[in-house]
Amino acid sequence: MSADDLTGLDAFLRIVGDDLGLDVEQPAGADLALTEVPGWDSLNLLRLVVLLEESGHRVPVHRLLEARSLRDIHTLVKEYG
Amino acid sequence: MTTPGSVTLGSPLGEPVAVVPGGDSWSRVRDDLAAHGSALAYAWLRDLEPAVPSGDELRELLGRDWTRYLDLTHSDVRNRYVASRMLLKHAAGAVLASEPADLELAYGPTGRPYLRGCDQIDISLSHTEDLLLVGLTTCGLIGVDAERADRDMYGGGLVRHICTPYEAVLLSGMPEKERNGALVRLWTLKEAYSKAIGQGMQFRFTEFGFGPDGRPVRVQRPDGTPGTGEEWTFRTFPLEDGYVVSAAVYDAGFGKLQDAHVTTMLDQDCVDAITEALDEEESGGAGA
Repeated sequence: MSADDLTGLDAFLRIVGDDLGLDVEQPAGADLALTEVPGWDSLNLLRLVVLLEESGHRVPVHRLLEARSLRDIHTLVKEYG
Repeated sequence: MTTPGSVTLGSPLGEPVAVVPGGDSWSRVRDDLAAHGSALAYAWLRDLEPAVPSGDELRELLGRDWTRYLDLTHSDVRNRYVASRMLLKHAAGAVLASEPADLELAYGPTGRPYLRGCDQIDISLSHTEDLLLVGLTTCGLIGVDAERADRDMYGGGLVRHICTPYEAVLLSGMPEKERNGALVRLWTLKEAYSKAIGQGMQFRFTEFGFGPDGRPVRVQRPDGTPGTGEEWTFRTFPLEDGYVVSAAVYDAGFGKLQDAHVTTMLDQDCVDAITEALDEEESGGAGA
């Protein structure tokens, strides 16, 4: 996976859904509170951290903990490159 | 590390009690609370859903959570949300001798739930898939967590985000087939502890750890040295259908509470102050 793969929101949502096994509706799922994403839990947050690392994105965990939605996380991915 | 539920420090903790609203197992929850100061109760979503009320009755049961419930859009999330609140209020109602709908669930700044006006009891809630778990204590603080025992955690880079260096070394020294189960145990203990202290994942899981099962379980520093004392009790239990649950209980030193009922619970200092004031009034009146 290249670093570019997650920079588009649609691709980000698709990859997050596929890799974490979550039912993420597009595009509405981007703005759902993370606690309202079916199947979301704290372990998935760490799995997402690993997924981002493996795809070349280094977003600090404490910034991810502040995120309230997948769109927030995607914004961080773009911010940190 | 793979045989949850063995030796513990601090107060003992009874095994989780399977409950359903209106069922007859609530007495065991009350007995556990009376005997140990803490109790664990669990239920299955499939058993709770048929008992979920509707209309005004549901609105009354949810209280302030009603608005949040209406905002939830996904049916699975809504169902679990209402079932978990129902279980929590029924469990608290059973030990406080109160109608569930009369109890008001509130949330602290970090999202930690508590029962407004009922500080004689602390609560914690966890759910995973079909399982819902509630922890109750009159000792001080409680945190609980539930997880599938076979959830895939070991491998895939998660260990360095979950474990202290000491835990990582211990895990890597275990037989390969035992590592995932041991990591699930550590994860549930960390979740339970972080919920009890109201930190969630803000307290990084790599900054505190736990030792192997089969010996007293206490919080450890990243290098494996003791981090907390006997004021904390930790237990991990296997449940049927392949789940594992952990609980963390902090004993604030209040002593055993004989009566947690919401209608009779009075702070002893308050009772003493009122008695003293009445005595003074009485003696003053007699002298006038």
